[in-house]
Amino acid sequence: MNKIIATVGLVLVLGLGLAAPAFCQASPDEKLFQDAKLLLFDKKWDEALGKLQELMDDYAKSSYYNQAIFYKGECLSSIKGRERDALQAYKAYIRLGDANPSLVEKSEGSIIDLAFGLYENGDRAAVKEIEGRLGHANRAIRYYAAYKLSLVPDKSIATKAVPVLDGIIKTEKDPELTDRARIALMRVSPESLKSVEGRRPAGEEPRMLRIRVTKKGQKEPTVSINIPWSLADLALNAMDEESKSAMRAKGYDINRIMNDLAKSREKIVRIEGEDGEIIEIWIE
Amino acid sequence: MSACPIKKTDVTALLSGNLEEERRKAVTEHLKECRECRKDVEDLRRIFEEADAVKGEIREALGSVDWKALPDRIADYVFAQAAAPEKRPSAGERFRAWIFQARLRPVLAGVVMGVVLGSFGMYMALRRPAPRPEAGFQASGEFLDKVELEMARRETVDYLEKSQYVLLDCFGAAPGRASVRSAFNTAQAKELLSKKKYLNPQLDKLRMAKARVICDQIEMLFLELAQVGDGLPEAEMAKIRGFVEDRQLFLKINLVKKELQNGV
Repeated sequence: MNKIIATVGLVLVLGLGLAAPAFCQASPDEKLFQDAKLLLFDKKWDEALGKLQELMDDYAKSSYYNQAIFYKGECLSSIKGRERDALQAYKAYIRLGDANPSLVEKSEGSIIDLAFGLYENGDRAAVKEIEGRLGHANRAIRYYAAYKLSLVPDKSIATKAVPVLDGIIKTEKDPELTDRARIALMRVSPESLKSVEGRRPAGEEPRMLRIRVTKKGQKEPTVSINIPWSLADLALNAMDEESKSAMRAKGYDINRIMNDLAKSREKIVRIEGEDGEIIEIWIE
Repeated sequence: MSACPIKKTDVTALLSGNLEEERRKAVTEHLKECRECRKDVEDLRRIFEEADAVKGEIREALGSVDWKALPDRIADYVFAQAAAPEKRPSAGERFRAWIFQARLRPVLAGVVMGVVLGSFGMYMALRRPAPRPEAGFQASGEFLDKVELEMARRETVDYLEKSQYVLLDCFGAAPGRASVRSAFNTAQAKELLSKKKYLNPQLDKLRMAKARVICDQIEMLFLELAQVGDGLPEAEMAKIRGFVEDRQLFLKINLVKKELQNGV
């Protein structure tokens, strides 16, 4: 019941907000549009699509027509089997002269996601949609295309993302973006990452965190990780629970390890678990 | 027998019947008493008897030889051998002779040394490399997935916190200065809209579903408000604020944030 009241409230509030001056009577097309958005908010894609289609069929000159195209794409992208229709809807919205920049950026991101999904399901040509956005004027779209392309299992395709990922690390200051680019480069081309990281001024900060986990009685490590120092915290948190509990049992938490390692480049944290597992962590 | 008074020649003469009478008696007397000499005489007698057995065959063979013609035949054979061309050594023999000649021995030693060192070098080059620390960055795809999941967890918390700030900033603007458009067109709001897409794949994973729902709703709210024109009346702003409060959006954000901070 609360949900119904709340969603009705959303329609009311947003409807009023979108239609200045306030408190005027909603027209039929506006009513359809607000109903559709409310259904979208509650992820009722088919019903929302129905409302949007009705608006587009019956009110071709409505001021909500263009936005309806974008929201149609939103609905279709969430309905299984309608991905290609969603792509067309987003592209139609982007082509509009007065498209809202925020919705255009969202549409471009959705096209990349849809193309990646189609590629994963066997449509090899769909990846062209992502490749084509590597040179997009909007860097947010360019970056997202490179990130998604790095997840393509075919290395010959994924490596096309390397120049953009390389550029993110070189030029961006936002650590979230640069860390993602580093992980993506590690997937696609670790040697490119080494090249980028190698350009840091000497003595700026440690460059590489090394983690080795060796099971009892084995010579070769079961886990062997060399990762940029900037990802050290994430990497230590991403270690398997067995290793993390072995570290905790010996009084090591992630912060202590990071502090110990940061103090001295020669320091090697060596932890022997109860079951003989040996964890070695050091930086270079 | 060496200590005995009779000699081997006596025994041989005895067996062939050429021993003098006096000596024959002495030898015969000794043989009666000396068993060792008697055995030697017996052995020798047996040899003589076996020789007598082939004597006839030898005599027969010798009789078949044309002794008069034999010298001519031997001479002919010798001359024929001398006239025959000298037999040429085979290619293998010539090669061995060439390769092992004295002046090539240092070269040969060098070649052998080179082969040994080359083989050792090839072995060292082709054998499985010994484990050593890898120089470049490396991590398994599975580990990188975990790193990304951890990153998504943190970024989702960050996204939710920043969304709260943006909404509070929007609703908290002084009366008369409230401008939804300006509030939602800040670089921070745009950044949030831009980053949300990176979170989606991880949010789809198990135990992040609640976070996905709330993040999607915030995103939609942002997109909506980003389209609203300037100068939204204060009364309208109050209504939107009321709606967000009714939906308990801030409470939901806090709950999901807490869950994520405690680990996915």
